Amino acid sequence: MVESGAVIQADFASIVGDARVITDPAVCAGFAIDGITPHSVVYPTRAEEAAEVLRCAAAHDLVVIPCRNATKLDIGASPRRYDVALSLKDMNQVWYYEPDDLVVSVEPGMKFGDLQHFLARHRLWIPLDPGGGERASVGGILAANAAGPLRLQYGGPRDMVLGMKIATPEGRIVKTGGRVVKNVAGYDLAKLVIGSYGTLGVIVEATFKLYPQVANRVTWAIEPIALETAREIRRELLRSPLRPLRLVLLNHATRRHLADATSSPRLVTSSEVNLALWIEAGGSDRVLARYTDELGVLAAKHGAPLHKLDRDAAGETWERIADFGSGLTREQQAPLVVRAALPIASCEEFLERAEKESRLGGFETAGLVQLGVGVVDLGIGLNASGSANTDPEPRGDGVQPQAQAPGSRYPAATIIERLRQAAITLGGTLVVTHCPAELKSKLDVWGPPGDDFEVMRKLKMAWDPKSTLSPGRFIGGL
Amino acid sequence: MWAAGACPLCGSFERLMAARSLIRDLVQIASAERVLSRPEDLILYEYDALSSRRVPDAVVFPETTDEVVSVVKLAARAGIPVIARGAGTGLSGGAVVTEGGIVLSLARMKRILEIDLENLRARVQPGVVNLDLTLAVADQGYYYVPDPSSQKACTIGGNVAENSGGPHTLCSGVTTNHVLGLEIVLPDGSAIHTGAEYWDRPGYDLTGMFVGSEGTLGIVTEITVRLVRQPEAVKTLLAIYDRVADATGTVAAVTACGITPAALEMMDGFTLRAIEAGTHAGYPLDSAAVLLLEVEGLREEVEEAVAALESVAHQHHAREVRTARSAEERDLLWRGRKNAFGAMGRISPNFYVQDGVIPRTRLVEMLDYIGEVEQRFGQRIGNIFHAGDGNLHPLIMFDARDPGERKRTVEAAEAIMSKCVALGGSITGEHGVGIEKNELMPLIFSEADLDLMRRIKGVFNPRGLLNPGKLLPSGKMCGELRIQVS
Repeated sequence: MVESGAVIQADFASIVGDARVITDPAVCAGFAIDGITPHSVVYPTRAEEAAEVLRCAAAHDLVVIPCRNATKLDIGASPRRYDVALSLKDMNQVWYYEPDDLVVSVEPGMKFGDLQHFLARHRLWIPLDPGGGERASVGGILAANAAGPLRLQYGGPRDMVLGMKIATPEGRIVKTGGRVVKNVAGYDLAKLVIGSYGTLGVIVEATFKLYPQVANRVTWAIEPIALETAREIRRELLRSPLRPLRLVLLNHATRRHLADATSSPRLVTSSEVNLALWIEAGGSDRVLARYTDELGVLAAKHGAPLHKLDRDAAGETWERIADFGSGLTREQQAPLVVRAALPIASCEEFLERAEKESRLGGFETAGLVQLGVGVVDLGIGLNASGSANTDPEPRGDGVQPQAQAPGSRYPAATIIERLRQAAITLGGTLVVTHCPAELKSKLDVWGPPGDDFEVMRKLKMAWDPKSTLSPGRFIGGL
Repeated sequence: MWAAGACPLCGSFERLMAARSLIRDLVQIASAERVLSRPEDLILYEYDALSSRRVPDAVVFPETTDEVVSVVKLAARAGIPVIARGAGTGLSGGAVVTEGGIVLSLARMKRILEIDLENLRARVQPGVVNLDLTLAVADQGYYYVPDPSSQKACTIGGNVAENSGGPHTLCSGVTTNHVLGLEIVLPDGSAIHTGAEYWDRPGYDLTGMFVGSEGTLGIVTEITVRLVRQPEAVKTLLAIYDRVADATGTVAAVTACGITPAALEMMDGFTLRAIEAGTHAGYPLDSAAVLLLEVEGLREEVEEAVAALESVAHQHHAREVRTARSAEERDLLWRGRKNAFGAMGRISPNFYVQDGVIPRTRLVEMLDYIGEVEQRFGQRIGNIFHAGDGNLHPLIMFDARDPGERKRTVEAAEAIMSKCVALGGSITGEHGVGIEKNELMPLIFSEADLDLMRRIKGVFNPRGLLNPGKLLPSGKMCGELRIQVS
């Protein structure tokens, strides 16, 4: 760095005030990513300040990574460099709320749980169940395009955001979309920014379409079942007129993990018949009675038991399911967490292959399939006891113990490669959403980009010509 | 072919030689019967459903992605514009030629390439007609959701370019919510594949940004769309009102009470009388406004929603609420709505369709304002709204032969657009910007916003050869009416 740190700190302080530029190493350490620690944390309170901080950082050739609660900072390659953490925690206001028009505009630092709580006063909600749960911030959810099983019925963040304001690395605030539910004026830049993992701009305001809450919900479990039965039931359910809110397939390890973590009962299974299919639906008592009837017929046809879950246990368990990948990460239950995106009909087969790899490798894998959506989450190397795993013994094959699933005969990078090949063969992709930092240098967390990568690279240049924002973290080193 | 001497269109010898060479090259790419060059043929491609500007130099009908690539490369070498065109039903001038060039018609690329019901998707060429895709899967119980009123004619490629909506997009979203992936030919002739056959391929969402880019970023040659299971039950209601304010009050109450109908349309008395004269849909001639409401889902859900909607409508003084008793009755109610624009042609020499959006809570205020505009400019205005999502289509009646009426029509339209913006809305909900509203973009976007859009356009279309003069403001406000009606 050519300039002294003090000059730069003074520049930031002139934008946000002295108290909002922190260089205390203990604080900075809290923002570390993959062991790389920023030298400053800056806390803007308004959109204009966030834009100015970006402009100032770019002028000093510094690298900025925006964040709030760090529920998703694990996702992505290790940053090429990391100078400044831009904490959005003090940008957490609701700017516009029109319940009768079903629209809300909020700042990125607002916790998603707080926003849902706010909306609940008018029996409204944003029907997303992203990883990180209530702690996740609005900005983080959008940056990661985070969605859970509710996507089956409601779509994802890209279907719910009506407009945005974005601070660019050039210090401007640009607007896209608006506050009305239908709008085709101009390029839809929100689509690009959602899921860009903080590499294009910093979301400083987002406007969401709201939905009426579904007050009356019931969860049923069809379990235990074999994989082939699960596939048949999924086909018949998606062909039927029923429109469940959520539909997931849990493998044995996931089911046990959830039973350990919540008050839902354990499941007695055999080695072949050990999967659980969970269905949630909402509506009036008459509508729910119809679901009970139809699901009963469906389960009976396949000789599988149907259980109606206790309401409280179901609610708690769905929260764990939505938070599956992040939860395993946070609680250090699994050293490797991956997410495969696949055609709907390929998900069961991918789960089967993942379980086969686990058996071959001698480790255990927790699997969660968002049926009808096309997403499979895997927690690889799940600790059977349910407690945090530590594997102290080096294997003598040159691979660090942390870089290896516990008990595995393969290095972790090999496991990822084999699973990724399986996903690609089935027409999908695989992203490593959590792994030890030292492993990130040995594998590509995003997988290979496609023939549209050159356009992505040029778009990154158009938004962020000096690579100020999160460089190297996204696909292909963007 | 043209007579030797001078170009019949512009009189320039050089232009003639260039045009002849262009036609020769195009015939090399596509066969002669798939290239149009005679003035009497070209003139048909001067128009879309909004207006006309200029006659193209040639029209070519490629049948494969490779042929599209060849045409685009040829245009790049010659430095001439390429304007992609579907069925020409667009309402914002998106397919109109602004400065000459090749019209690349995708009408011959109309194959449904793959239908994969287990994965809830289909892969189609851009020239597939919107309704044809639904018809192809209807027997098996599926449909393609976005249903613009022109769905019998418009193409899915055109829908992607414009991010088209339709009456049934209220609960299920517009085109962008139903497109998973695209094959795109860029102006340099490279073909890229965005998105996938599923959600969430990692990387920037080029598909989402491309939908609605109005042919200014690339030419779509293949589209992967979502298919959706048909609902078990559908009910269509017609609520009839003696006061417009009661109809708008019902709309607000429906939105606020937590029912999301599949469609919620509103027509005022003037409009429905015009429709009734042509379609005989059974709309009451003496009412001030009607709402067309549709709910879908499980039988039980639909019964409950119908009861709730009837109750809301009666609370807001509906004179009568009718429920379509058969599929025929339902089709008739919808036929009236979908033929509305055509019906206007019977009662006025010309009409100008607006496409504004406002927050749904401001409907009453907006309708009052449109009444004022009608008084102030002396042009009759019919109101037909996708009321459930705040998307208004006021229809301004005028006679294009009268310069005074033309001027007043444009002024009335701009007043309505400005009011939409003032109420926190947008200048277009589903028809697009095109050449109709590109100069109005500064009403809702700052110079910083537009600058970033220009740079993004530059990434895809650096020389500006694809569909020039559209979407972004040119900086020079053309004084004459953007609707040039013949």
